[in-house]
Amino acid sequence: MHNKYLGTASVCVFLTLILAPLWLAFDRLVWVAGFDIFSWINSLDENYISQGVLEFTVLQALLSSLVTLAIGIPVAWQLGRYEWPFQSLIRSILTMPFVMPSIVAAMGFMHIVGNEGLNIRTNANTWFATLIIAHAWFNISLVIRFCEPVLSTLDPKMEEQMRLLPAGKSKLGRLRNLWLPLMIPSIAAAACMTFVFSFTSFALVRWITLGENTLESMMAGVGSSAGISGYMVSKNEVILGSSLIQFTILLFSLWLMSWLQMKRQTLLPTTSETVAKSKNVLGWSVILPAICFAILPLLTIMIASFRINEVDASGSNQYWSLAGWEYAFSTTNSLPSAWDALQNSVGYALITLLIALPLGYILAQTIRDLEKERPKLARVVDLLTMLPFAVSSVMIGLGVMLGMIRIDAEFFYSIWFTPILAHVMITTPFVVRIILPALRSLEPKYEECARTLGLTNIQRFFIIEIPLLRGSILVAAIFIMAMSMGEFGASWVITRNSDWTTLPIIIDSIRSIPYNNPLTTPAANAVSTVLMLIALVLFVSTEKFRPTRDGGMF
Amino acid sequence: MKSALVSIFIFSMMVSGCISESIEEKLSNGNMISPDDYVWEDDGELVIVTYDVTGLTDELLSEFENQSGYKVNLMKLEDAGSILSHLLQHKNVQIADIALGLDNTYLQTAIENQVLWEHFANISGLYENVLGPYSGPLATPFDHGYICLNYDTQIVDGENLTVPTNLWELTEDEWKGKIAIPSPETSSPGRAFMTATIDYFANDGDNQTDWRDWWTSISQNDAIITTGWSEAYETHYTGGYGEYTEGYVGDAHIVVSYCHSPGVEAWYSGNWTKSAALDLPRASFHQIEYVSAVEGGNLGAASAFIEYLLSEDVNQKMPTENFMYSVLDGSDLPEDDGYRYHSTIPSQVAEITPEEISANMEMWLEEWNKAMVAV
Repeated sequence: MHNKYLGTASVCVFLTLILAPLWLAFDRLVWVAGFDIFSWINSLDENYISQGVLEFTVLQALLSSLVTLAIGIPVAWQLGRYEWPFQSLIRSILTMPFVMPSIVAAMGFMHIVGNEGLNIRTNANTWFATLIIAHAWFNISLVIRFCEPVLSTLDPKMEEQMRLLPAGKSKLGRLRNLWLPLMIPSIAAAACMTFVFSFTSFALVRWITLGENTLESMMAGVGSSAGISGYMVSKNEVILGSSLIQFTILLFSLWLMSWLQMKRQTLLPTTSETVAKSKNVLGWSVILPAICFAILPLLTIMIASFRINEVDASGSNQYWSLAGWEYAFSTTNSLPSAWDALQNSVGYALITLLIALPLGYILAQTIRDLEKERPKLARVVDLLTMLPFAVSSVMIGLGVMLGMIRIDAEFFYSIWFTPILAHVMITTPFVVRIILPALRSLEPKYEECARTLGLTNIQRFFIIEIPLLRGSILVAAIFIMAMSMGEFGASWVITRNSDWTTLPIIIDSIRSIPYNNPLTTPAANAVSTVLMLIALVLFVSTEKFRPTRDGGMF
Repeated sequence: MKSALVSIFIFSMMVSGCISESIEEKLSNGNMISPDDYVWEDDGELVIVTYDVTGLTDELLSEFENQSGYKVNLMKLEDAGSILSHLLQHKNVQIADIALGLDNTYLQTAIENQVLWEHFANISGLYENVLGPYSGPLATPFDHGYICLNYDTQIVDGENLTVPTNLWELTEDEWKGKIAIPSPETSSPGRAFMTATIDYFANDGDNQTDWRDWWTSISQNDAIITTGWSEAYETHYTGGYGEYTEGYVGDAHIVVSYCHSPGVEAWYSGNWTKSAALDLPRASFHQIEYVSAVEGGNLGAASAFIEYLLSEDVNQKMPTENFMYSVLDGSDLPEDDGYRYHSTIPSQVAEITPEEISANMEMWLEEWNKAMVAV
């Protein structure tokens, strides 16, 4: 809806939602640690818990991005350039990992490397590689989503013409003069996004690389003792220093990504996807392993949920059973049942949807309108909507928690809705990133015609925009649901009230139960399976509605 | 864009200044209130903030619900340190009624910060030894145990690795990367062990070095420092049940745990264990865990729960339900399946007074931190 007041109001609401908790957290930390940026940054090296964490975070994020590109580009190429049977199913499978909750991925990879799988877990030298591969698994879909549309919709004539030119005679020549210039913005944008997500990795690092932390997981670890006057002061400095560094690095990556995404939009020639493509039998050697790679961690979780490993005096003994499922779905005083967690997760996801979808839509519309009149301001608002990516979910959780304590702890702890605040903060940026490219790709002619016909803003919105953007809106809606249901970092920090337990939190809690209970692993896997199936159903249903070429990110 | 960001930053700094002062004022006004001033509301619910998800079984809690009529709500945090942090963060705005699991390395800080209330539960028959560190009305011991090093007797067998006779031996090359210790910053067994090392090295007859030097050496010897006890014992230690669990790594042959952990192992595995406690004088710590009523909480419910937890029927079950010693006078670990036989009572525990702990803990942790990063 093209309403300036509504636009301004939505920007204000969003900024308040995002900035208020963060500023409350920041303020409380500064109140304890004092305002001394140098001391914050130095504290990283002075504390055992944070020493070397920045280096590890940057290194693993860079390597993760490279490996993701190395695996993702050939897959995107094959998918985009050739014709495949069950194309949309293959595409769904390959891009599904991105919406899988990170804790599910962690459980899956722990199994693959565990003693019933590759059995390499006992060798600490494999942990780093496992993490990088898990990150690649997670982010391949970004490469596919960014690159595949460019490849699949390129008019074949362009390549034919290129072949006739001296510079395009050889494969190398065509790569250098056609494909690279065409693909680089998309590849770089995918790399930026992968970098951001790997940089803020939490669940995977928490479970896979023991003894090593990303800034994100380290902050989650020391976060519980933050914001107390005169107590563990240096930990407050560590959090301030880490978030400052993280914020700066991520903001730069996101700015780069947003710039590339805009460049990509203007660079692409408009063509149709209906051109006949050739088949490529050899390509299966890329596509099949990729499909196995995407499915394997999920399959192992499902299987492992029925596998019990019992230890008694005679040694260990394995058998198949439903006991893990029963354990997960039974209520105890010490742990809510997965059934309660499921209800919470669904409830939170639906309410988040009701708030984040309109909010994100209006924000995207506002940015689009601004782009026409005040492009610089549009860039600022665009970047602001991506702030939650830069501050990471643990910081958001910390902000919400300290904010609650500051404003009215008893009130916030007593209401069931509190965690939704964090979910809205985390999902709204995704909505903007999905809707904005779709809005950009709308033919201005439609709107001009509608104006000429005398349609009001509201009429134009309902008669023209909604039907045209139906696909993107549905994708955004389902994305909100999936992201909200899989949200781990922020929930992990704020969920102190067992009435708020969601599926990802209960997976972590079950896995963390000490003492030798043979049911904990299968039970955690059972809940992971539920979460995974939900994400899968949601995701496969988006695939049907996804615009063939929206140039969007997700 | 730059100016927008700068103005947001300046604005937040301005407002944050005002808010900080108001909070500070509120907190500094918290003078000690006497039990006569306690005001609480009975909402029929008991919120327990704790860290151990299996410490209290379902049957025990359901039984309490049936007996007392209160509905129990557990709030589980990561570790004992998180309980203290939670209480301090929520000072004056507490949401819990009971804090369960603060130990004698954390308790004093909680008391000094006035986040606990005196309960009116009727308690008797406690073992004298557990009342040493604290015997006042703000906290009641509910279980106890001794923290010490455990080792894998199949590998630390005198051939592959020799059984250490003092802590310095652990800084030698043969132990490189083979010791798992939970961090004193985040884990209560870790904190207890660090506290023990202070006394150990103060009394080792060597005036040249102290506990900080040992921690620097141990850090340089690639000791595995974990966030919590579970990761150290289950994931890294080769002598325990961890080897049958998923995610097991098995790179440490010595670990900080309880002196009765081998007993628990034996009790689980039909009187068999390969783990043993290492009894070095002053290298173990007597840990006592407390249950306390939280300021501003439902004191009626809290007192009822404390009384229930310390009742003979319930507290006697501590060794099998919570894998800790009961605090009742005359109680002991069960003899079944070698539980008591494989549990060691240390010959001489570290002697650190509660006053020393409360006066120095923050400083010790800072020094530990410095020692660990010193090259």
